Amino acid sequence: MKKSFLTIVALVIISLSAFAQKQVSTNTHIKFFSTTPVEDIEANNFKSVSTIDTTTGDIVFSVPMQSFEFEKSLMQKHFNSKKFLNTKANPKAKLKGKITNLNAVKFNKDGSYMVNVEGVLTINGVSKSIKEGVTFTIKEGKVNLTSKFNVTLADYEVAFKKGKPSKNIAKIVEVTVEANY
Amino acid sequence: MSIRKKIIIILGIGIIIAGIIVVMMFFKPHRDVQNTATDFRYKASEIVNEYLADADKANNKYLDEEGNSKILEIEGMVAQISEDFNHQKVILLKSTTDKAGVSCTFTQNTNSHTTSIKTGDIIIVKGVIRSGATFDEDLDMYENIILEKCDIITQ
Repeated sequence: MKKSFLTIVALVIISLSAFAQKQVSTNTHIKFFSTTPVEDIEANNFKSVSTIDTTTGDIVFSVPMQSFEFEKSLMQKHFNSKKFLNTKANPKAKLKGKITNLNAVKFNKDGSYMVNVEGVLTINGVSKSIKEGVTFTIKEGKVNLTSKFNVTLADYEVAFKKGKPSKNIAKIVEVTVEANY
Repeated sequence: MSIRKKIIIILGIGIIIAGIIVVMMFFKPHRDVQNTATDFRYKASEIVNEYLADADKANNKYLDEEGNSKILEIEGMVAQISEDFNHQKVILLKSTTDKAGVSCTFTQNTNSHTTSIKTGDIIIVKGVIRSGATFDEDLDMYENIILEKCDIITQ
């Protein structure tokens, strides 16, 4: 009797977790791209974690800032330093958003879907609301997310007031995101 | 006349040296993690629990302001082996009883050292810490400690 009760409890827990359609991705790529007449600067990060709840449309990205890699070590030092992203104090950036037109995507049907995500992006300890377009590609039940948007550095108190970086780094950088869930 | 010449020569040498230093700083290569001394050695559980107890304190201890954070050697059980978008091998060291583990990302040069590793193996990995373990309320899950530029340490 006790055994069958436990079996039922176990079955309920399993089915509940199956209904909460939360998918996790640790296979991600986030790229910063800055272009000025002086030089182009690129940084890549492959270590973000993301979740998406396909029933509520909740979408979260947690980005370890020290995992951004630059071609030149001096740039990477600048990026991490107190003057710029202050990654020791703020080791993670975060996006917490929601798909506003969830009925535009069918997670159980192969295809490519454009959706809108609204939420809050926190970089350098500063939170700003954002609204961006995201593309989901579903293939054989696997979810792939891509997005490209611009970030104005001054919005996140990443300011380059003087010196070389103010000439070499664009005021607005392009961010490309890809994740496989 | 000869004094003026000397001054010009000395100034010229000074300017050249300063120029070389600036260029060297600009093109300074990235730190070679594997050829840098290890700062701390732990079992995966030890550092995970240190982070879960007080993440701010641990960040202060392990993260560096310029991104040259502490170099760790972590011993643990291989829970998962995968590959990231950059074709780098990722080995998760996590004990079955822990809430989080240590995710170790290898490089193009060290990927091949992981080929004989299987889940369940006990291994030691050396790498640089990028971020710590926490419970993230928004993700609603525990995040692993992230180590990059990893290689296997054989004893």
